[in-house]
Amino acid sequence: MSWWVILALAAGVSGQRLAGMFWAGPFLTRRPALARLGDLLPMAVIAGVIAQLCFASSSTSTGLTVDARAVGLAVAGVAVWRRAPLIVVVVAAAAATALVRAVG
Amino acid sequence: MSHPAVEPAPTEPGWSDYGTLAFTYFAVGVTVSVAMIDAGISVGTTLIAALVVYSATSELAFLAVRAAEGSALIGILSGWLVASRFGLLAISLGTRFGGSRPHRAAASINSFDPNVALAMHQPEPNRLRTVFWKVTAALMVGWWVGSIVGVALGNVIGDGAAWGLDAVFPATLLAIIGSALRARDGLTAALAGGAICLMLVPVAPAGAPILASALGAAVAVTLSRNRGPGMSSTPMGRRS
Repeated sequence: MSWWVILALAAGVSGQRLAGMFWAGPFLTRRPALARLGDLLPMAVIAGVIAQLCFASSSTSTGLTVDARAVGLAVAGVAVWRRAPLIVVVVAAAAATALVRAVG
Repeated sequence: MSHPAVEPAPTEPGWSDYGTLAFTYFAVGVTVSVAMIDAGISVGTTLIAALVVYSATSELAFLAVRAAEGSALIGILSGWLVASRFGLLAISLGTRFGGSRPHRAAASINSFDPNVALAMHQPEPNRLRTVFWKVTAALMVGWWVGSIVGVALGNVIGDGAAWGLDAVFPATLLAIIGSALRARDGLTAALAGGAICLMLVPVAPAGAPILASALGAAVAVTLSRNRGPGMSSTPMGRRS
């Protein structure tokens, strides 16, 4: 990973963040019909990240898999639904995932 | 499970929450550092990339492309594409963050999933900014300690998956959006976003499915509008 790769990655990542804050965010705010999108974007995007992390075969291949990660997510879902503290959600999900892998 | 139109008053993270968030980013930092060192990248470059690129998923995406014999250019484009979610999160933050231009610039550069989602739960602007920076501080402590431990010790814990460490980040994300899932619009946005992502993972290049999942927010807004203004809910607990 050479220095120009690092700089190129940094420019693209930072540029998107700054554009969101200074251009697209205010653009939504000026349009009442779109303003609510701003509140709901994190829910939709984070759900996408969760889906990718738990069901994609790997970060590069293009396939879906249901494995121990899905069990961990389900356990996390129950814990969140029961309003468990974050630390309980995380420990329960990791333990369930590890347990399924140890058994399976 | 019923979904009230308005979720309960937002609560702020407590000390154990900040500690767990730090641990989550510690795990992410270790993972990225170990992957970089495994790919033959020097300790110095690994730490500089952690500071300058500032996106674990972009670093991992670049490494994945290079490991698959892809060109550096494709690796960079892939890194940009997976970082598009931070741009989307910065959009969300940009609708309500306020503050001076330098303050907003600093906040946007620090946009990650947990700090944006937890900050946007806060209806009041000052609390929104305070929660954003407190969560950011917790994430940074975890990220830096994790990055340094990762390069210093290498892969000492062996396969993190055996410990279920790969379940830590998704579980944290689910808990973070948990309270918004109790409101109908938040649940709709999340289910639609997750479904769109899953449909695209088998056919689209890495990063594109998560970018497309943003459309889940548009689905929720459209459905909410069709129910009529009287039924619209305020999933983020915003009070006017």
